[in-house]
Amino acid sequence: MRGKNLFLIGAFAVIISGVGLTQALVEARRGERPQFTDLFLHAPSEEHLRGFEEDLEDASCFTEYLRPAMQYAQFAALGNTGDYALMGRDGWLFYKNGVQFLIEPWDGNAAVADVIVSFRERLAGRGIELLVVPAPGKASVYPDRLTARARAGGGVVYAHSRQLMGQLKARGVAMVDLFEVFDRARAEEGDEPDLYLQRDTHWSPAGMRLAAEAVAARLIELGWVARGDAAYDLRPASIERRGDIVHMMRSPRIEARFERQRVDCAQVVTKGEGLLYADDPQSEVLVLGDSFLRIYQADEPESAGFIAHLARELGMSLASIVNDGGASTLVRQELARKPELLSGKKVVVWEFVERDIRFGAEGWQDVALPELPAAETGAQSAS
Amino acid sequence: MVFTSHIFIFYFLPLVLLGYYLLPAKRNLFLLAASYVFYGWWNPWFVLLMLFATFVNYTCGGIIAKAEDDAPRRRWALAASVVISLGTLGFFKYFMFAANNLNGLLGLFGAGPFPVLQITLPVGISFYIFQSMSYSIDVYRRTSPPVRSFFDFACFVSLFPQLIAGPIVRYNTVADQLVYRTHTLDKFASGVALFILGFAKKILLANMVGPVADAVFEAESPYALDAWFGVTAYAFQIYFDFSAYSDMAIGLGRMLGFEFPRNFNAPYMADSITDFWRRWHISLSTFLRDYLYVPLGGNRKGPRRTYINLAIVMLLGGLWHGANWTFVCWGAFHGVLLAFERWRGKQSVYARLPRPFRIAATFVLVLFSWVLFRSPTLGGAGRFFGAMLGLSGAHGGSALLGGAIYTQGHLIMMALCALLAFQARQAFDLAEEVTWPKTVVLIPLFCLALVTMLVQAFNPFLYFQF
Repeated sequence: MRGKNLFLIGAFAVIISGVGLTQALVEARRGERPQFTDLFLHAPSEEHLRGFEEDLEDASCFTEYLRPAMQYAQFAALGNTGDYALMGRDGWLFYKNGVQFLIEPWDGNAAVADVIVSFRERLAGRGIELLVVPAPGKASVYPDRLTARARAGGGVVYAHSRQLMGQLKARGVAMVDLFEVFDRARAEEGDEPDLYLQRDTHWSPAGMRLAAEAVAARLIELGWVARGDAAYDLRPASIERRGDIVHMMRSPRIEARFERQRVDCAQVVTKGEGLLYADDPQSEVLVLGDSFLRIYQADEPESAGFIAHLARELGMSLASIVNDGGASTLVRQELARKPELLSGKKVVVWEFVERDIRFGAEGWQDVALPELPAAETGAQSAS
Repeated sequence: MVFTSHIFIFYFLPLVLLGYYLLPAKRNLFLLAASYVFYGWWNPWFVLLMLFATFVNYTCGGIIAKAEDDAPRRRWALAASVVISLGTLGFFKYFMFAANNLNGLLGLFGAGPFPVLQITLPVGISFYIFQSMSYSIDVYRRTSPPVRSFFDFACFVSLFPQLIAGPIVRYNTVADQLVYRTHTLDKFASGVALFILGFAKKILLANMVGPVADAVFEAESPYALDAWFGVTAYAFQIYFDFSAYSDMAIGLGRMLGFEFPRNFNAPYMADSITDFWRRWHISLSTFLRDYLYVPLGGNRKGPRRTYINLAIVMLLGGLWHGANWTFVCWGAFHGVLLAFERWRGKQSVYARLPRPFRIAATFVLVLFSWVLFRSPTLGGAGRFFGAMLGLSGAHGGSALLGGAIYTQGHLIMMALCALLAFQARQAFDLAEEVTWPKTVVLIPLFCLALVTMLVQAFNPFLYFQF
């Protein structure tokens, strides 16, 4: 009777006291002051106590050591894909935030539309046109790859985005409806090629090129841009990509369970010289956007992304500002810090991924345009 | 500080146990200091409010005890205790609710709203106000002697194991234990066992199915099957969350020599709503019975008054849970069902069915009540009921919900929850006696739960808001 009680109590005591003691010993061996002593460095306040608790958890050597193994165990035993990923069908992975945006109610479209219209008006004051390009999330184009009961096409699952686009259209904002473009492509061409990567949040080269073609066609149709005379060639380039959603699981052992996907890209190179496409800050077209513009462009294989392919379609180099997850506000704040990028611009193309309508970093702030350089202000008022 | 946190498990708890058992005397004073640190961890200023409630009830209890046969003075002191305690609770918990409703009412008559003071709800206020008030009432009723030491009383009010989420421990339950309590190996080991079981329930069950409930309740227009799956997940989450906290509290109490009352007794095995309330949050239902239902007249003033009393108790019980009409309706729902069963001689309408069917029928009724409890608004609850009955319209993006909730892990955890919830023997019973086989299971279970806690981002505690 006494033995089992003592054993249980002893084990319990060792476990609960062992973690803190071990942590202090590890920190002492590293020559660091034990972190728990931070508690006594400041007067106790709600903010300080929360910060102390978070730091203690983040710095825990046990957490650091055990987390990957535990995540892998949960993945292997329960199929648990962590806080950011959702397992779809046929090995497809989806980003939880993107799916959450489609599932949950959302009533913030009017405020988003106000910011977009305000940006359009600010640009119009400088004689610059705005073309808005909401990029569909993967689950909007491939709902059937997440769950068998969801149907692709018809705009059923992306009602929030459709509503926002309706509001923007009613207020005269020019747009490219990539949702319709992708739905049509899936309806006409079946499932080959995939327009999105299987284990990544982003579009495939095929989806990206479809988007670039649609945006170029719209710009020319609107008469805002005349096709330029820069000539580009395409150079095949293959890469292997595990997928950003796999990386979000933050466990190398889980990552190793997923094969890399071969992705056939096409780099845009100058005709004749074969130089990789490069931006031109003096271009009359400025492209703003998020990681949908970065993939294949700044990432490997480089110069094979949306910006390069749009440039090829338009026959001209473009200027661009790209910010991962920051297309709602951060790109415009960056623009506000770079007045030279607005010089000589005729058109701004603004891409943002659908989920950022709700989850965009820093929300949707109204951002003033940068002051023009003095010389250009004079030229503009004269014209 | 919550029990399922790094700071509590690995720092606070070992230090408190060590300090407590190293001290030869003044252990209540040590517990008082530890409890104030525990409570002040949320916001050090909240401790002042707790001190205020402690001081008021200690003073009123003393006046009541000293007045002996001076009935008016005793009544006056009791009234002061109740009014100040409930006034404090009302201000912090219900002022904004009342003001917002008044603004809504004024709006109907075209009057402009007045500004509403934004008040932070101190954690656990409903629990410690009730506990401290019970002291004055017990002394008034002469069911408990007045406490001799202010520090003992302050220790009772602030005792960290049950401070935040109960069980609601009445003064007369622990009055003797505050003065003298035993510390035995059996009691400590049983406390460890119960704490481990509670900890594992919270981390390995409640936190695993909680995301299912959240996803479904936050969806715009779920399918009927999803809605049922989601509310069942919530039923498991709230049970394995709240009962786990009670188990941990009772377990910690035993480690410190206290014996707190049982708070849950296999509630989903109830075969009627009357039975459910004998098994769910027992310390609250008995508190409301003894301090509200009985003073209202209980069942002594005829059947009609009994039904009214039941309804009042359940309405106020609902409101105790939170300042929202959803909680009032949740209380009313249970009140009506209890009154109906009372009218039928404490029998449900399905009393003649075999027991498994009675249990299933009761569970379905409880699920409907959880919709009210979980929904943020009455409108939301109405939409959810519609979804459960297959009446929601276009599903839109909610068609994707299946991909988020019917995952391999969620299905396994839901099955495990069902298996454990529909058992007569629960953690409390299992921890009564520690055996070698239990020890061999408990230690790895604790390690598994601890390691899981380290990787869990989802670790809310549902009853904090109450």
